[in-house]
Amino acid sequence: MATATVQYSRARSTYAALRLSVLQFLADPQWLVPSMIAPVVFALVSFELFRGAGPYFLTYAILGAGMMSMWGQTLYGSGWATGMDREFGTLEPTIQAPTPYLYVVVGRVLWNVISGLIGGGIVYVVIVIVAGGPPAVPNPVGFALLFVFVMVTLASVGVIFAAFYVYTRYAGFIQNIGEFAFYIGTGCMFPVVLLPFVTNPVSLAFPPTWGLDALRYLSIPGYQGFGWGFWGDLAGAVATTVVYLSVAGLVFQRVERHVLEEGNLSEY
Amino acid sequence: MATPLLAYRPSFWQTFWTNAVMAPRTSLGFMRVDFVLGTIFIVPLTQMVFFAFVVQLGGGGASEIAYTAVGNAVATVTYSSVFSVCQTTDSEKQQGTMEHLLVSPANRFALYFGRGLIPILISLATVAVGLTYAALIYGVSIPLAVFPTLIVSIVLTAFAMVGFGLLLGGVALYLRTSIILGNIFLFVGLLLSGVNFPLSSLPVPLQWAGDALPLTWGLAAIRAAVAGESLGSIAVLWGAVGIAAVASFGAAVGLWKVFERRALSTGSIARF
Repeated sequence: MATATVQYSRARSTYAALRLSVLQFLADPQWLVPSMIAPVVFALVSFELFRGAGPYFLTYAILGAGMMSMWGQTLYGSGWATGMDREFGTLEPTIQAPTPYLYVVVGRVLWNVISGLIGGGIVYVVIVIVAGGPPAVPNPVGFALLFVFVMVTLASVGVIFAAFYVYTRYAGFIQNIGEFAFYIGTGCMFPVVLLPFVTNPVSLAFPPTWGLDALRYLSIPGYQGFGWGFWGDLAGAVATTVVYLSVAGLVFQRVERHVLEEGNLSEY
Repeated sequence: MATPLLAYRPSFWQTFWTNAVMAPRTSLGFMRVDFVLGTIFIVPLTQMVFFAFVVQLGGGGASEIAYTAVGNAVATVTYSSVFSVCQTTDSEKQQGTMEHLLVSPANRFALYFGRGLIPILISLATVAVGLTYAALIYGVSIPLAVFPTLIVSIVLTAFAMVGFGLLLGGVALYLRTSIILGNIFLFVGLLLSGVNFPLSSLPVPLQWAGDALPLTWGLAAIRAAVAGESLGSIAVLWGAVGIAAVASFGAAVGLWKVFERRALSTGSIARF
């Protein structure tokens, strides 16, 4: 007796997840607003606190708030999607589908990164209007390229977080209560070297910490970040991102197997 | 001929107490124990540390950092008082209980005030823990002698902020979702209420906007109490906080009445 073979395309699944995320956003674009308000307010507050501290502090405010916006989208977006799947009862069918859940998550995370970038753009425009002009960036092309790479580092964290959110029912807690902890730990608005030294290993476990430090080295003359400098930061960012992306598949495989064995996915 | 049935109308205190007890399990159901503990113990610490480092990077000294620490210790009250309370409208709509609420004969003031009781208590705990962090980490001096005026200031601020949250919840009744409104007022105080820098640093129109927020007056009263200012000067600020509280509760009840009438006439407001 012949058995039917399951055929699926991973790329098509990722594209479908991305497309669905875009359609959901277009159907109700107001959801960009909640994740935008905090970064814009923090940027304005930081701008006021940095006033008179030097010309490059404008870059600190913009870069920090822009990163907070993207962090927010990554943290919220990844957790929100899984939480909603669980609430709507679609998490079990999605996990049971022939396509590994990872490829669905990658599609969603891709959109989160893009919407985070839109948010970062809005922060930039608001601060430039308030400040009366754009910040001076010594190497705009290098800055733009590195900025895109930092988005990739954020995406790698988003993928790992999404795997964790499948397990935990505390995604909302992590997003809401841990929000400032992530901003502090990765040095969104200030260099991580300002934090107590003992906290540095935790910070360095996150790829965006390295990426952000590299961005500041590139855009702020005289910046005092990690002692290993721009190239060390860049190497660290690449290495941690590769590690995150490498383990993402493994983590998802284990998570999927475990939750299928336990059969308690729909509980929340 | 059958006598008409008299409508059952619970007493004011019965409505108040039932809502105070039930709200954390129903409309405030998203405020689980982990959320409440996180709001009281983690959020004030992380928010305060974040802005203290920003001030430090901007060249601020110990006094500026202490100013920011006190401001953020108090500002975190918005999570439990404004954001959570404002979200109750969404909860009612999502759970499908809004229609039942709208046709209930219960006293509205008792109902809303009762729902605010637990958020008021959480707000008191949040500010107390936040100020303790400010004293322990950033050396903010809070002498025992100022405790009576400080406690009155904190209690008044908590009431005013929960009243403001109920007011926003009333506005949210008309909106599709309250999450945007909640997010705006969760963070806008950081800019407009003198949390991180004196209000006088802002352009005049923004100062006026800040004056319309209860957090501005509550924070001013708490700062005055911590600084050990005279009772006379603090009493003026208490008056302002009290007016903000009464105005917020009054406006909230008024707004709900307006939207209730509209809801009953159109039959569509409970949808989202």
